[in-house]
Amino acid sequence: MGKVMTTAEAVQQFVSDGDFLFIGGYICRPPFAAIHEIIRQKKRDLTITRSNAADDFDMLIGSGCVKRFISTFISLGLYGLARCYRRSIEKGIPHRIEIEEYTNLSLPLMLMAGALGMPFVPVKDMVGTDLMKVKAFMGENKYRMIDSPFDGSPVMLAPALKPDLAIIHVQQADEEGNAQMWGIGGDCRWGANAAKRVIVSCERIVSRDTVGKDPSRTIVPSFKVVAVTEEPYGSHPGYTPGFYDVDLSYGNMYKEASNTVEGFQAFLDEWVFGVKNREEYIQHYIQRFGYAQFKRLGAKFDYGYPVSYAY
Amino acid sequence: MADHPNDYIKPELMACCGAREIRDNDVVIVGTGFPAMSANIARHTHAPGARLMQESGVYDAQPARPALSVGDPCLNPGAAMIGGLVEVMGMFLQGGWVDVGFLAGSQVDKFGNINTTAIGDYNAPKSRLPGSGGANPIGALAKRTLIIALHNTRTLTERVDFITTPGYIDGPGAREKWGLPAGSGPQVMITNKAVLRFDTNTREAYLESYHPDTSVDEVVKLTPWKLNVADDVHETEPPRADEIRALREVLDPHRMIRIYEKRGYV
Repeated sequence: MGKVMTTAEAVQQFVSDGDFLFIGGYICRPPFAAIHEIIRQKKRDLTITRSNAADDFDMLIGSGCVKRFISTFISLGLYGLARCYRRSIEKGIPHRIEIEEYTNLSLPLMLMAGALGMPFVPVKDMVGTDLMKVKAFMGENKYRMIDSPFDGSPVMLAPALKPDLAIIHVQQADEEGNAQMWGIGGDCRWGANAAKRVIVSCERIVSRDTVGKDPSRTIVPSFKVVAVTEEPYGSHPGYTPGFYDVDLSYGNMYKEASNTVEGFQAFLDEWVFGVKNREEYIQHYIQRFGYAQFKRLGAKFDYGYPVSYAY
Repeated sequence: MADHPNDYIKPELMACCGAREIRDNDVVIVGTGFPAMSANIARHTHAPGARLMQESGVYDAQPARPALSVGDPCLNPGAAMIGGLVEVMGMFLQGGWVDVGFLAGSQVDKFGNINTTAIGDYNAPKSRLPGSGGANPIGALAKRTLIIALHNTRTLTERVDFITTPGYIDGPGAREKWGLPAGSGPQVMITNKAVLRFDTNTREAYLESYHPDTSVDEVVKLTPWKLNVADDVHETEPPRADEIRALREVLDPHRMIRIYEKRGYV
């Protein structure tokens, strides 16, 4: 049974309504090909999480795919507040999502706990603030306070998270799913390993031998991976280190579009529902903005000193 | 006496005020904009041994252009170490290695608490803001935090609507009660009008210096709590020539810092 498949197949097979998804990325490597496919396939009632969410989460929320969001932060970065997210919370459009709020320390540690098979993890932040007072769907299980059994000091315990599925985008993977990533990591490694299964989207599928030339870069082993999808420019308008830069003008376009419900819908109609897959998306981008602008996104190559693992 | 060029803009003065709070060999966690500029001015002047990290996982980046976010691609090539949030927020910040963190917010109160969650009632907010991100852990666990704020009666407030990030919480003893690191907390609040410092007894922000185009009276008027004034209150030292040179010639040749004027830092 091969794991290499299209993103449409992977989403159809492994994303179910009501699932709890970890979606990797940190401006770098958002798995946008899969995000758009989830929207196209009209998945519903998802619980989504990662630290520092951005335009990909905003799109899922605006598209009505999301019921719950375990959040630390969401914005459009340079372009300010996340418009669909605000409309959901402030006006209930398309519906009001439920939010459980953590931080960029506690959430990664909760994913780490999930990955390590620990039931919970002590965290040293959040205490004394209103983040303790707001509890949503996790209720009393959002956290517990205890006196440390070792020195009696107050300690917050946060529960481990074990998502049903992680979707990540990385530079390269082999056909079995050994996924290799480099550059800014965010919480990708821990989120992926906390999940029960993983969809690996990658810029290029490489051979098992290639993976073996630099195995320290592998962040998820093949046995956790259920699908491998090759999606060049798969994280556009975000970036993938060594492949392409952030597309700031597209980010601005999304900000302008998502200012209104109608604008957001028109954006989806053009860029998500108007194309069948990532290949058509890229073709549409080139037709719309020209090949020169597309090429400008491409990274210059600057290879490092090759490493040797010989003995 | 250092040379003080007089053609600076307010965000440059604020960046320099931030730089002066950084000591040589400090480990500094930065975002973008002011924090990065302040920390780098310090590196190019009095604190060459200061080292920077971004919460996204980068240590000692060598960006060839000003980073627009903590995940900016320009932070990758040349960095000394790249990991992720567990490394920087966990191993370094929670591990107790970070000396200085910068914070900013839509609302800041007299105890240095910061709101980046919601304006108004949390359950029916007038404005829903992004949330904590790395701010809460930085405010909780960095040894010293520097707060950047707009000086007006909307941003500054007696009490924030929602404490996202802890300053001194509700006053003396509160951080200690919650087990936050001994001696940690906001060190200074740098606004477009003044430098406020925190009283070691009351934990309230008081006026240490007012910027050259303003006055004690104006700053007091723009502050919504009863602002105490230091006995030795004085004018803020304008940017020095070496600070301005580092900023304009090395760090920000295109003077992207001007965008802060549009955001009200005048």
